[in-house]
Amino acid sequence: MIEDLLYSSPGWTNVGIFFLLGAALLMVVLGFVTYAILAERKVMGFMQLRHGPNQVGGRWGLLQTVADVLKLLLKEDTIPKLADRPLFILAPIIAFAPAFMVLATIPFTDRFQFADIGVGLLYYIAISGLTTIGIVTGGWASNNKYALLGGMRAAAQMVSYEIPLVMSVVGVILLAGSLNLNEIVEAQRSGWFIILQPIGFIVFLIASVAELNRAPFDLPEAESELVAGFHVEYSGFRWAFFMLAEYVYFFAMASLTTVLFLGGWLPLPFLGFIPGAVWFALKFSLVIFILIWFRVTFPRIRADQLMEFGWKVLLPVALANIFITAIVKQLFFM
Amino acid sequence: MLTGEFIAFMALALVAIIGGVLLINLTKVIHMVVALVFTFVSIAGIFVILSAEFIAAVQILIYSGAITIIMLFGIMLTRHDDTSEPITGKWRKLFLLLGVLGFGVAVYIGIYNLDIPQAANTLHVDNTEQIGISLYSHFIIPFELTSVLLLVALIGAIVLAKKDEDDEKEAEKE
Repeated sequence: MIEDLLYSSPGWTNVGIFFLLGAALLMVVLGFVTYAILAERKVMGFMQLRHGPNQVGGRWGLLQTVADVLKLLLKEDTIPKLADRPLFILAPIIAFAPAFMVLATIPFTDRFQFADIGVGLLYYIAISGLTTIGIVTGGWASNNKYALLGGMRAAAQMVSYEIPLVMSVVGVILLAGSLNLNEIVEAQRSGWFIILQPIGFIVFLIASVAELNRAPFDLPEAESELVAGFHVEYSGFRWAFFMLAEYVYFFAMASLTTVLFLGGWLPLPFLGFIPGAVWFALKFSLVIFILIWFRVTFPRIRADQLMEFGWKVLLPVALANIFITAIVKQLFFM
Repeated sequence: MLTGEFIAFMALALVAIIGGVLLINLTKVIHMVVALVFTFVSIAGIFVILSAEFIAAVQILIYSGAITIIMLFGIMLTRHDDTSEPITGKWRKLFLLLGVLGFGVAVYIGIYNLDIPQAANTLHVDNTEQIGISLYSHFIIPFELTSVLLLVALIGAIVLAKKDEDDEKEAEKE
């Protein structure tokens, strides 16, 4: 459907349709973010032997996040007097826009995808790097030493961990022979890449947690050292934008992990009667659960350990994985 | 003729040029870097219009990291509230205006009747694959030499940084 629209002659109808589709996806993502935050708090609560939210919206706290968001939107919008005003306003937008742009290429099922780009995987990795600029800008514009430190940590971390992230998916690209996410999923009909690329999967998972700035790699906003990192001075809906960007990346990264390593919408053998969307949702929820589990389980690592781990462990392992994959492909798949 | 491609090109070109102009005219380092981001991203958009998605993705991939680093340099190596002072002079401005006008006229005359024959090609089909094939078969030696050059630069940077540390240790001993 999208393909037909893209090749039809331009007009206001098309603009309207694209706008509505984009708005619909935004609503879906907002709904996901609302319940992802609730799920995270609930799972964290259960793992730490407490109840989690259970007051607003029934026994499961189903309206807790809605109430929180409403509170955020009603808050006073404060901009520090000595802040760099234009950049302070611009930074949350620079951080959020790429997070939403990234979702366009992800194939949720074989039919439900917004843009079938030939270099979909590269597009995802490239665009997601732009968010760092928003974070550093926000950290600098706040005119606050904690914010600046948080922003600089974010830059160092995201530049360092982007390299193992890209290197770990090279193995997948080699086996699939394509950068297109649809073709990568199709290439997994004979076996998911988590079986063919176990080392690549582990490196990718670790690097993706680091890219998401989540515990144990949440140094840019380490509350015990930097108060709140790069968003100390932000409040109200501007702060909500940074949080939204973070959770949209959470959504996008879990989808990307599903597509690259868990076979996307492809069913398990003999269970093909269950529709692809359900399979995608199941695998996606599993990845989300594992990421929440990580956050509850691991303590935060030190800044120097973070850099050493990225450059001295993950990068060599990822390079070795490329080497081994190339040999395996030459020997068995050619 | 007003097509979607034309509107997209005009929007992207405007953002690219405005970003460039702001880069020159703004006074704070970080503002300039943010203006540069807009220029680079819209140039990547123009690559997409030319159906060179691979170049567009690589452009953003390389420059988003590079701009972050430039920003850090801008924060760390310049004074926090430093602004560059505008240099003004009446004659200088006049000559600049004449120069710009002359350049504009020259380019306009040169470009207006320029006729580039359109050769039929298949560059827009699977261009990622085509880039890969030509890079690793026809241009393999220059490509490898470039990577060696980068490696030499990297090692050189490490050697320079390492030497400073040793000197500091010796200085501390003394």
